[in-house]
Amino acid sequence: MKEFTYKICDELGIHARPAGLLVKEASDFESEIMIYKGEKSADLKRLFALMGLSVKKDDTIRVTISGSDEDAALTAIEGFFKNNL
Amino acid sequence: MFGRKKSKIVATQTGECVGIESVPDSVFADKLLGDGIAIIPTDNKVKSPVNGTVVQVFDTLHAYSIKSDDGLEILVHIGLNTVELKGEGFTAKVSEGDKVHAGDILCETDINAIKEKGYEVYTPIVITNSDELKKLEFLKGQVIGGETTVMEYLK
Repeated sequence: MKEFTYKICDELGIHARPAGLLVKEASDFESEIMIYKGEKSADLKRLFALMGLSVKKDDTIRVTISGSDEDAALTAIEGFFKNNL
Repeated sequence: MFGRKKSKIVATQTGECVGIESVPDSVFADKLLGDGIAIIPTDNKVKSPVNGTVVQVFDTLHAYSIKSDDGLEILVHIGLNTVELKGEGFTAKVSEGDKVHAGDILCETDINAIKEKGYEVYTPIVITNSDELKKLEFLKGQVIGGETTVMEYLK
């Protein structure tokens, strides 16, 4: 399993647009990808669940990735956060 | 099979119902958030498209997630890029966890104020788990909020 933590810099957090883009990115991988915010978690491939976390600026989130393509997924998903959020 | 009845989703607002692919925002038009339609509204009342539960009221009051009683996950997104308005021009009439019936008011908006600030008022109604449906059909044209059917589906 791979994981990373990230502090959200984007003023608007994970609203509908970045959530949609993130789900699209995550869905390219076979690995199970979960996002955690405090006690709550969501499947990063499920838009409703991800939006429901209502991740805001300055929130620190943790992402865990496990599966056959976890290395590639880690690069892509962590890159997405750094570049967009 | 025999007896299978199509379920309905009604318009959120009075106005013109168009295909999601005509929304001038690729995140909706490319169905990145799911399949659906959009309303170009002429009135300020935004109504629930289904019987269900309000799962999320976005802090910025411009978007509402509703889980229908039969498990559809529906996002009602009022206007495009309106997250940037940070709630201005939107008055939420429901809270998270509320049970709603199709036609119940979710939100009151001021579409003229939103337009004056330079934002499009297209309101996409997106089924975020549309991939789980056996059949989904769209009905376009002039619609009445809370009354006219805009989508029919088979689970």
